[in-house]
Amino acid sequence: MNVIEIKELTKYYYIGRKKVVIGLENVSFSVEEGEIYGILGPNGSGKTTCLKLLLGILYPTSGEISILGKNQFDIEMKKNVGFLPENPYYYDYLTGPELLKFYGKLFEIPDKTVNERIEKLLYLVKLHEVKKLALRHYSKGMLERIGLAASLINDPKILILDEPTTGLDPIGCIETRDLLIQLKMEGKTILLSSHFLSEVERVCDRIAIFHRGYLLTTGGLDELIKKYNADGLEDLFVKTIQEFDRKGEKK
Amino acid sequence: MKKAWFIGLNTFKESLRKKTLYILLVVALVVIGASKAFSFLTAEEELKMIKDVSFSGIEFFGALIAIFISLTAISNEIEKRTIYTLFSKPITRQNFFIGKFFGTILILLLNFILMSLFFIGLLIFKKSPPDIQVFKTLLLIFIELILIASITLTVATFASDAFNVIFSFFLYIVGHLTSYGNQLADRTENVILKGLWKILHTVVPNYENFNIRDKVVVGIDVSWQYIFKTGIYGILYLAVVLLIGSYFIQKREI
Repeated sequence: MNVIEIKELTKYYYIGRKKVVIGLENVSFSVEEGEIYGILGPNGSGKTTCLKLLLGILYPTSGEISILGKNQFDIEMKKNVGFLPENPYYYDYLTGPELLKFYGKLFEIPDKTVNERIEKLLYLVKLHEVKKLALRHYSKGMLERIGLAASLINDPKILILDEPTTGLDPIGCIETRDLLIQLKMEGKTILLSSHFLSEVERVCDRIAIFHRGYLLTTGGLDELIKKYNADGLEDLFVKTIQEFDRKGEKK
Repeated sequence: MKKAWFIGLNTFKESLRKKTLYILLVVALVVIGASKAFSFLTAEEELKMIKDVSFSGIEFFGALIAIFISLTAISNEIEKRTIYTLFSKPITRQNFFIGKFFGTILILLLNFILMSLFFIGLLIFKKSPPDIQVFKTLLLIFIELILIASITLTVATFASDAFNVIFSFFLYIVGHLTSYGNQLADRTENVILKGLWKILHTVVPNYENFNIRDKVVVGIDVSWQYIFKTGIYGILYLAVVLLIGSYFIQKREI
């Protein structure tokens, strides 16, 4: 069953009435329940735009989005979604538990439940020893980890993660990867964007490669490697992008 | 509305911990306290001076605080990108906007109460406890401050901070002059000028409606009927401003 469906999604960024940049152009894909789906692409390829459109943060120029059978602005649907933004920025005067509690309240989670989850999540992301530290004193890696905890505060069915390992050290990357696999085993659906190919290769069931706002290809990793006659994900990534650029130059 | 309240409380907490507003508050208290410097006047004149300076100080510094906090309430969320996480939660953009309004009013209320208590303390110290007219004046000042904050907050939904700060101060000045302008317009025979002033008088908030301090200081009683009528004017104006803000935040691309 598809829990996320995107049909012919287009996003243009305008200055005045003049079309300036293609954010996304006619993108369609779907994410199945319980899988980890990775969006790959170089910087500026449209990964973050796609995720922001999915969450109703940006308005699409055209196209349709369906998450758990609802549109992207539906409040009830959002109760089942967790989001970790790229380079997460939070209210730096709050402590970790205060931040989680604030987000918990927006999900209308009862106080008792939210307090239990905060304890559990702080242990999970290894921030239980810095409970009284304001976020402005957190390192980049710690912010990433509290962001991950914040994205799980509502025990979501779908987790949307934008570059979840940016800023983490190698141990942190491995721990995050293990956590994602554990969450998948618990039945959660994960949609993540990344430009760390090895990370995607290890955790994702299916991938999509974006470039300049276009979806170049999507499918299972083995299936795509076979289709493009590539030697691993890195080769596949380079091949699809170079092919697209060559076609663009010819036009 | 509950979610808007949580966002409001978070905004309030943010301002309390940032402490930048305390500087404005301290300056305001110094100005109110300085009204005691007129001790060379007769007791009655000194009391009038304390009331006049304090009412003006509370209104002026209250307006500065109102503009400052509502100016940054939304733009800070956008600049620091905290809005991305917030909008991914199950809240509407209206929840966010009204939450920011609640938060702004809470900070304003706290500052207003502190300034008012200081002023009342001064009156008690001068053995002239505040009468009901003093409280009526303070009530109207607070409604004016809410209106100022809501307008700045609404402009923040579609304009830059630089434009907003200039616009808000310009409106603050024009809002206090529009009644005089209207009186002048009544005297002119130029139809276009008259029409323009009438439009301006209708559209721009008439902040002078909330100014009863000149009367109260000299001992003229202001009726409850006037307070009620002006309060209703403030609430209606506020409702329209908040509706406009809600519309623009809904439309805005982040």
